[in-house]
Amino acid sequence: MSGSAELVRGAGLNKHYGGIVANVDMDFTVEEGDLIGLIGPNGSGKTTLINILTGHLAPDSGEIFVGGQRTNGRPPHIYAAMGVARSFQVTQLFGRMTVLENLLVPGLTRRHSRREAVVRHARETLEFLHMGHVEQLEAKNLSGGQQKLLELGRCLMLEPSVLFLDEPFAGVHPTLRDELILRIQELHQQGRTFVVVDHDMESILRLSRRLVVMARGSKIADGPPAEVQANQAVLAAYVGL
Amino acid sequence: MRPIPLAIVVLLTATSLATAPLYNSYWMHVAIIAMMFAILAASWSLLAGYVGLFSLGHMAMASIGGYTSALLVKWYGIPIPVGMVSGTVMTLAVGAGIGWICLRMSGPYLAIFTLGFAEIIRIILSSEDQVTNGMAGLRVTPLFDSATRLPYFYLGFVFLALSLLLMGLMVRSRWGLFLRAIREDEQAAAASGVAVARFRILAFAIASAFAGLAGTFYGHYIGIMTPSVGGLDLMAVLVVMTVSGGIERLPTAVGGAFVVEFLLELLREYAQWRLPIFGAILLLTMRFARNGLLTPFWLQFVRLGKVRDDAAPGIQ
Repeated sequence: MSGSAELVRGAGLNKHYGGIVANVDMDFTVEEGDLIGLIGPNGSGKTTLINILTGHLAPDSGEIFVGGQRTNGRPPHIYAAMGVARSFQVTQLFGRMTVLENLLVPGLTRRHSRREAVVRHARETLEFLHMGHVEQLEAKNLSGGQQKLLELGRCLMLEPSVLFLDEPFAGVHPTLRDELILRIQELHQQGRTFVVVDHDMESILRLSRRLVVMARGSKIADGPPAEVQANQAVLAAYVGL
Repeated sequence: MRPIPLAIVVLLTATSLATAPLYNSYWMHVAIIAMMFAILAASWSLLAGYVGLFSLGHMAMASIGGYTSALLVKWYGIPIPVGMVSGTVMTLAVGAGIGWICLRMSGPYLAIFTLGFAEIIRIILSSEDQVTNGMAGLRVTPLFDSATRLPYFYLGFVFLALSLLLMGLMVRSRWGLFLRAIREDEQAAAASGVAVARFRILAFAIASAFAGLAGTFYGHYIGIMTPSVGGLDLMAVLVVMTVSGGIERLPTAVGGAFVVEFLLELLREYAQWRLPIFGAILLLTMRFARNGLLTPFWLQFVRLGKVRDDAAPGIQ
């Protein structure tokens, strides 16, 4: 690890759904400046881990820290206020609200926010995402790729220190996928920290500085992409599918 | 609101108020009842339309407000305005409590729970006849010692105007955006930083408080409170008023209340056939105009005088 500030940490996380093991003694640390690809076969516990680290799910045991503060039991909006943003595996937008309103919601939850400044910021975010021309469209009328971009925009309005993106490339046209990758890289260069979950290995390898691999609820590899790709345990996990 | 529609609303309102002394007493009564239902419809639209919390306990809140005010005035001789404030505060608290209990409920589960709550309230009020005089009704001290209904008409208008002003400020503020976000997707709202639990409880509390206010006004106007005020029949009428007018906007909910209340009176000669007629209106609305029958007219009305599409964000 580089010695950068620790943004989010999960320690000894366990989560079971009845007889199904989702996370087992899972340790996961996100440091400032990371661009982590979180991969693994279906059912390896990636989304469960994100749900726990963003406050949407309580672990059976283990601890969560955001910015060094223990945050177990706090509701998800507190995590958002502390700078932890996330997108969802299946895009979840405010469908009958306009694109602009979708961005105003997170912007206006921030303390001391003023409406005029938030509107300005929202419009700048839409321009960054090349979506300024659809600001008055209802979110449900956007294409699938545009909805993914809007969800990214909604995360950005929180001015987060870390963004968890759950399958941002799923079902996205290659052209739009490339644009998403460029936006993420640009934001990373500006200082944002990312954890990206996806099955699109090409995109993950293009983006990631660090790869974390999960299988059957546990972490089986964590390191630079080249090192992880050569890891026998990783290969076995994927082939064993 | 743009200048032209605003001017029309102000003109119509001023004309109605100025010519009120000329109204036939019967139709003035209908207008007063319509204004009471308008407060109920607008506040229920806040809860069910803006936040998506389909509560069937709203008339029970009106009943609680009315009985609270009536009993406090009767037992302790407090001034009626103090009683009315007390009734409103009581329903604010009860609404917050129900909102807290219902935090994990939505859709049909919430509807059934609040239906059960409403029935419990009605049965308690019916059974505790030593306190409430049961089904015979509790005599309520009238607000005004007046030969005409005019003071009630003007007060009803003031309550309606104030209620719409306060609810309007709320829905046009960031709170309004948060409430609509909760309706659309609670999980995404939480991920966006919205304190979902707090706003659900707040919505229940505020909507219930306005229902309680309407209930206190009703009691001190009509002069009697009966358990049937909180019953399912009136709740069904409220649903028809709000949904057929337009559940997701305050003005259309208010419009629905006025139209249905006046239609109920105009169709009085059809006796019990009125209710199937309104049931049919509700079915047709849900099938062909889910946003409400008045919504298209309202959207056209507020656009009067518009030159270009420069709608400000978050304003409906």
